[in-house]
Amino acid sequence: MRILKGNPVSRGIALGKVYIYKAFKADVHESYFEAGKEDEFYKKYQDAVKTAEKELDSIITSMTGESPEKAKIFTAHVEILMDEEVEEGVKEMIYESRTMPDYAVDEIYTHFANLLEKAKDPLIAARAADLRDVRNRVLRILKGEKESNLSSLRENVIIVAHDLLPSDTATMDRNRVMGIITEVGGATSHTAIIARSYKIPALLGVADATAIMSNGDNVIMDALTGKVLLDPERETIKEYQEKLVEYIKEERETSQYLDKIPLVASGERFSVGLNVGNTDPDESYKYVDFVGLLRTEFVYMGSEHLPTEQEQFEAYRRVLANAMGNPVTLRTLDIGGDKTLRYMVMPKEDNPFLGNRALRFCLVHIDMFKTQLRAALRASAFGPLQIMFPMVGTMDDIRAAKAVVEQVKQDLRTEGIAFDEKIHVGIMIEIPSIGMIADMAAKEVDFASVGTNDLTQYLHAVDRMNPAIADYYQSMSPSMFRMLGRIFAEFNKAGKSISVCGELAGDHLGALVMFGLGLRKFSMNAANIGRVKRTLSLFTLEEAVNIAKNVQNLSSEAEVIAYVKAEVEKRS
Amino acid sequence: MYSKQTELKNASGLHARPASEFVAMAKQFESKLTVQRLDDEAALPANAKSIIKILAQGLSVGTPIEIAADGPDEVEAVEKLYELVESKFGED
Repeated sequence: MRILKGNPVSRGIALGKVYIYKAFKADVHESYFEAGKEDEFYKKYQDAVKTAEKELDSIITSMTGESPEKAKIFTAHVEILMDEEVEEGVKEMIYESRTMPDYAVDEIYTHFANLLEKAKDPLIAARAADLRDVRNRVLRILKGEKESNLSSLRENVIIVAHDLLPSDTATMDRNRVMGIITEVGGATSHTAIIARSYKIPALLGVADATAIMSNGDNVIMDALTGKVLLDPERETIKEYQEKLVEYIKEERETSQYLDKIPLVASGERFSVGLNVGNTDPDESYKYVDFVGLLRTEFVYMGSEHLPTEQEQFEAYRRVLANAMGNPVTLRTLDIGGDKTLRYMVMPKEDNPFLGNRALRFCLVHIDMFKTQLRAALRASAFGPLQIMFPMVGTMDDIRAAKAVVEQVKQDLRTEGIAFDEKIHVGIMIEIPSIGMIADMAAKEVDFASVGTNDLTQYLHAVDRMNPAIADYYQSMSPSMFRMLGRIFAEFNKAGKSISVCGELAGDHLGALVMFGLGLRKFSMNAANIGRVKRTLSLFTLEEAVNIAKNVQNLSSEAEVIAYVKAEVEKRS
Repeated sequence: MYSKQTELKNASGLHARPASEFVAMAKQFESKLTVQRLDDEAALPANAKSIIKILAQGLSVGTPIEIAADGPDEVEAVEKLYELVESKFGED
């Protein structure tokens, strides 16, 4: 059995036969024709455009009834096909430099696709795929080849392709596609977005997938952990068949809870938030009450240069628009140590996790910090935004960070730039030293959010990047829950908002215990929303409080997990 | 030559459907029509009849722009496109 690795961009499990999809691949070479044939070759191009338009029109007609959304993709393709600049570019190349139509088409479309790809907005950059798609259609017609697509599959298959274009996924017979494996593409690629919306498991970035696999191969794709198992043994198949049944059952149960108001069995309301790290619109925003963590690293790490105030402002405002009026907690840059920026020199440290990272780093790179705060404050004029500092260990840290916010606010006032004067400023609690003085911190800030991943790392003295000591990383330990209980109690007592945005909030067992400890705000990744809402709905407040009390007196993480799991299973 | 300045007021900016509507309307006029973003000195006027050029501008909400036209129906063209922007493309 051979195992290939990939990036699971759409969760799920699939067992089945491979179908290698090779889309038309244009073989275009730079070539020219002799003088006098300009009209003839231009007519060839025009005829190809007409044929392409006919093909697109017939797809649109066949789709308008059942899936108007998909028809829109092809309407957009007609717009591209008929684009004035494309038309003129091709015409010019044919008449001015006697370029063969296929080469002219390839050049012009590629040029524009590259132009769109540079757009800062990922949605616009994704439109480059549409341009390449239309280019391929025109080139194929110029070569005289017929349309090929995934619309008539004879059996259930797992599609394996180099890449899928919008026209491939839109015409694809969804009922027959069990999974998608491609060699290229990331979490925000066209294929990923489509796969998620159709709920088809997808693994992208599987190197050489089309060369390694062949039509009819039996494979298992595990798009939960990111693996393709080739030629699996009988026991493995049996194991995965069981996993699949289990997975489907759980998905069905939890998905019904996605859009429910989060309530426990005795009627108390809690809030569910979303953790985000990009500006893509996502249907998960509909199922939450707030955005508890906006990681801003994407603005910095996805850039070739230090992002400007305007670039950051636009990104933050887009997230506010996605959040549809719900509050967004922006965490200032959490970088340094192991996360570096390619355009900045950062000294190597012996213990990066105990080093000059996050707020510590920002306080010594004050101009960079101010730029981010200005962008955040400006965005606050357009929606409910609050600012949160990571890696706070002392009251001095809080005061130093707040002083910078005040300076930036003063600058904006002087310049007459609008921002939310009442903007809330808070901290991440992830260093035990600040957790121990949560009572004092609560007086100094408007809110706090616990980062349970780092809190576990620092409380247990475990480098969470070191696989050799992975067993020592215990976020469900009795020590963690004692520490968390203390933090929640102090913030609740002070009447200040407290939430958790670490992994533990998205773990249904952890969330249940924390509800019992007094937490009401849980911010998590989209995949965990249904499950957390469901599990908490099974318990009354009193039951949760009892469970929370009991776990603090158990002696190991293993005991805590076994106990809480049993309580959940009793009620499922 | 006739032109008018404004800023984009609809949440999604000049992307997707609003961009298509904008270009479709521009194509109804004979005049040469351009859109230029005013907050970037390096930006060049983009052909308002080209969906690709309009998208490539990356015009999001709040971006100040100038709509300009040159030709027989220049005033009407600019005014109509200006109104379309002001109407927020039907978004709230």
